[in-house]
Amino acid sequence: MQPIVLGVIAGSIYALIALGITLVYKASRVLNFAQAEVGTLTLYATWWVTQRQHQSWWVGAIASIAAAIAIGLVFERLVIRRMLTAPRVTVAVATIGLFSLMIAVELALFAGTIYILPPPISHGGVSIAGVYVNANQWLALGVVAVVAAALAAFLRYTDFGLAVLASADDPVAAQLMGAPRGRISAFTWATAGALSAIAVLLIEPTVGVLAPGAFNGLFLGGLTAALVGGLSSLPGAFVGGLVVGIAEAEVKAHLVIQSIPSFQVTAMLIIVLLVLLLRPQGLLGSRS
Amino acid sequence: MTTGVETTTALRLRGVRAGFGAMTVIHGVDLDVPQGAVTGIFGLNGAGKSVLLKVIAGVVPTWSGTIHLGDDDITKLLPEKRVAQGMAHVPQGRQVFPSLSVEQNLRVGAYTLRRRDKSSYDDRLAQVYDTFPRLRERRGQAAGTLSGGEQAMLAVSRALINDPKIVLIDEPSAGLAPSVVEDLLEVLLQVRTLGLTMLLVEQNIRFGLRLADSGCLLQKGRIVYSGDTKELDQDRLATYLGVGRLLSGDLTVGLGGGAKKAPRRSRRPV
Amino acid sequence: MLTAAALFIALPLATEHAMPKLLEQHHYLNLDVGIAIAIAAVSLNLLLGYAGQISLGHAALLAAGAFASGIVTSRWHGSMVLGLLFAVVTTAALSLIVGLPALRLRGLYLAIVTLEFGLVMQYSVLRSTVFSGGSAGIALPRRVWGNRFFTDNAVYLVISLLLLLVVWFLDVNVVRTRIGRAFRTIRENESVAQAFGIPVTRYKLLAFVLSGAMAGLAGAMYGHAIGFVNNESPFNFNQSLQLIIIVVVAGLGHRLAAILAGLVYWVFPSFISGLHQWAYIIGALALMDVVSRHPEGLAGVWERRRRPKPADDDDDDGELPALPQLPAPVRAVQAESLPPGSPLLEVDGVSVRFGGLQAVDGVQLTVPTGTIVGLIGPNGAGKSTLFNAISGLVRTESGRIRFRGREIQGLRCDQRARLGIARSFQQVGLAKDLSIRDNFLLAQHQLAGYSDGEALLMLPRASRDEETFRTRADKAIAALGFDELANMPVRNLSGGQQRIVEIACLLVTAPDLVMLDEPSAGMAPAAAENLAARLRDLRDVLGRTVLLIEHNVPLVLDTCDYVYVLDAGRLIAEGEPHEIASNPQVIDAYFGAAVPA
Repeated sequence: MQPIVLGVIAGSIYALIALGITLVYKASRVLNFAQAEVGTLTLYATWWVTQRQHQSWWVGAIASIAAAIAIGLVFERLVIRRMLTAPRVTVAVATIGLFSLMIAVELALFAGTIYILPPPISHGGVSIAGVYVNANQWLALGVVAVVAAALAAFLRYTDFGLAVLASADDPVAAQLMGAPRGRISAFTWATAGALSAIAVLLIEPTVGVLAPGAFNGLFLGGLTAALVGGLSSLPGAFVGGLVVGIAEAEVKAHLVIQSIPSFQVTAMLIIVLLVLLLRPQGLLGSRS
Repeated sequence: MTTGVETTTALRLRGVRAGFGAMTVIHGVDLDVPQGAVTGIFGLNGAGKSVLLKVIAGVVPTWSGTIHLGDDDITKLLPEKRVAQGMAHVPQGRQVFPSLSVEQNLRVGAYTLRRRDKSSYDDRLAQVYDTFPRLRERRGQAAGTLSGGEQAMLAVSRALINDPKIVLIDEPSAGLAPSVVEDLLEVLLQVRTLGLTMLLVEQNIRFGLRLADSGCLLQKGRIVYSGDTKELDQDRLATYLGVGRLLSGDLTVGLGGGAKKAPRRSRRPV
Repeated sequence: MLTAAALFIALPLATEHAMPKLLEQHHYLNLDVGIAIAIAAVSLNLLLGYAGQISLGHAALLAAGAFASGIVTSRWHGSMVLGLLFAVVTTAALSLIVGLPALRLRGLYLAIVTLEFGLVMQYSVLRSTVFSGGSAGIALPRRVWGNRFFTDNAVYLVISLLLLLVVWFLDVNVVRTRIGRAFRTIRENESVAQAFGIPVTRYKLLAFVLSGAMAGLAGAMYGHAIGFVNNESPFNFNQSLQLIIIVVVAGLGHRLAAILAGLVYWVFPSFISGLHQWAYIIGALALMDVVSRHPEGLAGVWERRRRPKPADDDDDDGELPALPQLPAPVRAVQAESLPPGSPLLEVDGVSVRFGGLQAVDGVQLTVPTGTIVGLIGPNGAGKSTLFNAISGLVRTESGRIRFRGREIQGLRCDQRARLGIARSFQQVGLAKDLSIRDNFLLAQHQLAGYSDGEALLMLPRASRDEETFRTRADKAIAALGFDELANMPVRNLSGGQQRIVEIACLLVTAPDLVMLDEPSAGMAPAAAENLAARLRDLRDVLGRTVLLIEHNVPLVLDTCDYVYVLDAGRLIAEGEPHEIASNPQVIDAYFGAAVPA
């Protein structure tokens, strides 16, 4: 039972990354390699606000999210906006540039020292099904549920949200209906930034320290989740996150082979290959 | 938005040039689209009709020359800004948003209207539903599951709901069954009675001539004739468009009325 | 192959002391490494630039090649030639295993699988002691034979250059044969590729296996240049990303650019490894700036500079443009034809269901050899779905489809295309990023009598066939009067022109059954007349068979021998055109009430 519960918690955080990847992919057919790294860099803002300015974790969290949104907006304005007609692989390379930039800034400013960020809630927790789930994990589950629901509602029930969805269907036709292509693009990248920051904030307590590239596993999990979900549906990304989280937790719990270092990585590859062989339509996706 | 000044020209192009890469497609086009009338653009495949429409829409950039919508210079505006200024589109192939419902499609179509004046949206939606009761029935259905005729209705309504000054229509009849073409023609004729300005590109010359008050012929990216459609006689059409034997029957052919005249075996070549 | 092997053995022996000492050894070494990485860049360019498949673990393939060659040369005491060969075979096999599950599917699954494969190599395999000494790594001696080694980096440079030439030759042949056209079509649209008869999964695998084999070679060459590899060698995720950066910045699909970029990048290793802190930040910023301002890469910038500026070429001669004439159909396929009138295609109780929608419901129809059969009906009646069922793009729920008496409902789309069923699409089924000429060549994909192996080596049969294809394409283009547009991407043509090219593509191969989905939509009236004439030619001159969906009623009544009418997924009428035209049920469902004229 324990792996499943832990898997659901990690998986829901993967789902946030997967939502960001899927949203950007739907809107602009670009795979965003920086989806987890933006939040990793901005987490240092949280550290600075809480440890140096002695503000609460929540203030620090807002600082991180705001900084991530700002990075998303600047990147969209200066890079993505100029690449509307560029091949999509080239735009993906631009996001590799953003990824490198985030890593480079982390290395330049913060390498060599271990940064520790206390968790948002220091004690408390409730057991479910015989598994102890601490307060931070509850917080993660709650935040993910609220964020995903809010995003879904925004897209479905507001004019701007509908314009975003229409633009995902057909950007030129949406533009011909008056949907503001530039602001839609800005929105998707800002949202991707915010999702990145939130996901890193939520997963940080399980890692415990900040270091450049410390959350690479988050990107791998999120990308796998997005692809398992079919890259085209937001609910699919969510379910994909849970599936990947649970699968990974099960592997960690039951499959450890001493002679092969980091065997769980190998196990994940084998699982992915098996899923692709046995369920070729993807876990949720349809073939058509 | 516009001042009270009466303009007789809804859309004015002067010396417009455009193309792709090293290829010039539109060579200095001058065009006046009169207010409250339907103007048709006709020409052979590759004459640049659809590109001209895209240039006016702002999807293909203008290399030189000017485009005025009413009194406003829109040459450098983004497509969505032109829509906000009163331009609306019925794109080629209809291009409804397949994953959105009928009503959501209409709401996207009314995007700039709702930003200007949200209160009038409900009235306009009701008007659209009165004109097309079929759409009201299917308001919650995903647009991708509509039939071709219903998608055509949706595409036209999506343009009309935004209260436009001019509607650009690209090949509305392409790929539609004759009975639907006929329905669509009636719908557009009805829209015409509202005094709406329309600019139409149409390959189905019969359809185009029924709808358009005036027409211009595009050839190799230049306008070689423009004037009243009534003066566009068979000879001139035959010269410029190669309208020949296959479509030279009565007007109803190709509009779906062919069946009434059947059997038309006599028209078959031996 | 044998001569190549002999060369590899003879060359080091012969030149060991003969090479002039032009440069210091470490300069040669840098060049050796640079060439290895240039080959890696060619390998990734083939996969990403041509076939459009993303590999995020290319460095891991390099690692696999290096370790494979290391095992041969240091554990098994084999020659370096054997080591390189073993590296190529190993990585090709690995690519097949890793790629097969991902490439059967559409989408970016190769990206995720290669990403994880890369991490597996990085964290598990390279650190385990099974294949190497763990962090001690494995040595890659340049063993010539037995205990003979060569150490001169200049000699190694000559060998590297020869290998680069081999890879270059293979890559050139990929581009100029049907392999490259298949890759580029798949990159753009897999459905279109299938309709042209291209087995998509097989070609995607071919791309990945070829690319993997080249990467393995590159890795082994890198290893033999340096002398050993371990888990600190540059085979990690970052290196995979750097390779992608090289290829994209140089210009996707440009082989020479990829090689140059690879050389520059690695001959001056300090260029990147020397970047620390702020310099690294500036490097990342510069990358984003370059790709956003020149998405077509440096090669594209160079090409654009050489291209003339658009001039207002004043060809306003007042003359009417000549009407494009569809090329006369040619008998390219040499299948023995059935006697006229015998059933070519039989659709027997076929149903197709999408979720709750019964799109096609028990349709029964026969298309006799040497006739033109029309299929009409309202929008949404299921005509195109029936076409998709016949050509294999959707699966039938029940019923049988026979072509030349053989049941085909179980075959893939491209297999049916190779049997002689070709079709056009409502949304124009061309590779729109490819030029008109390439599309005509693409259309002849199934006519190629050469295997992919022959194509890679450009054996006589391959070059002869390609010559034939090119002649045929040029004739068709000349007939259309599109000579000036021949190298223009199809995307830049107008909708009607694209449709004309699509149908001309079907005419140049004239397969047994030509299925046309609304061919005259968007065509000028004169072009539609020309179309009607060509359809009759197909039937009367070549004895071919046509199945036609069309809303242009006069065209249908004029050309068809027999007409089926579909409404809401069911056949509601069939008969000769004049019977259909007067059938009250058809008038009601399709033609509609007459226009008040």
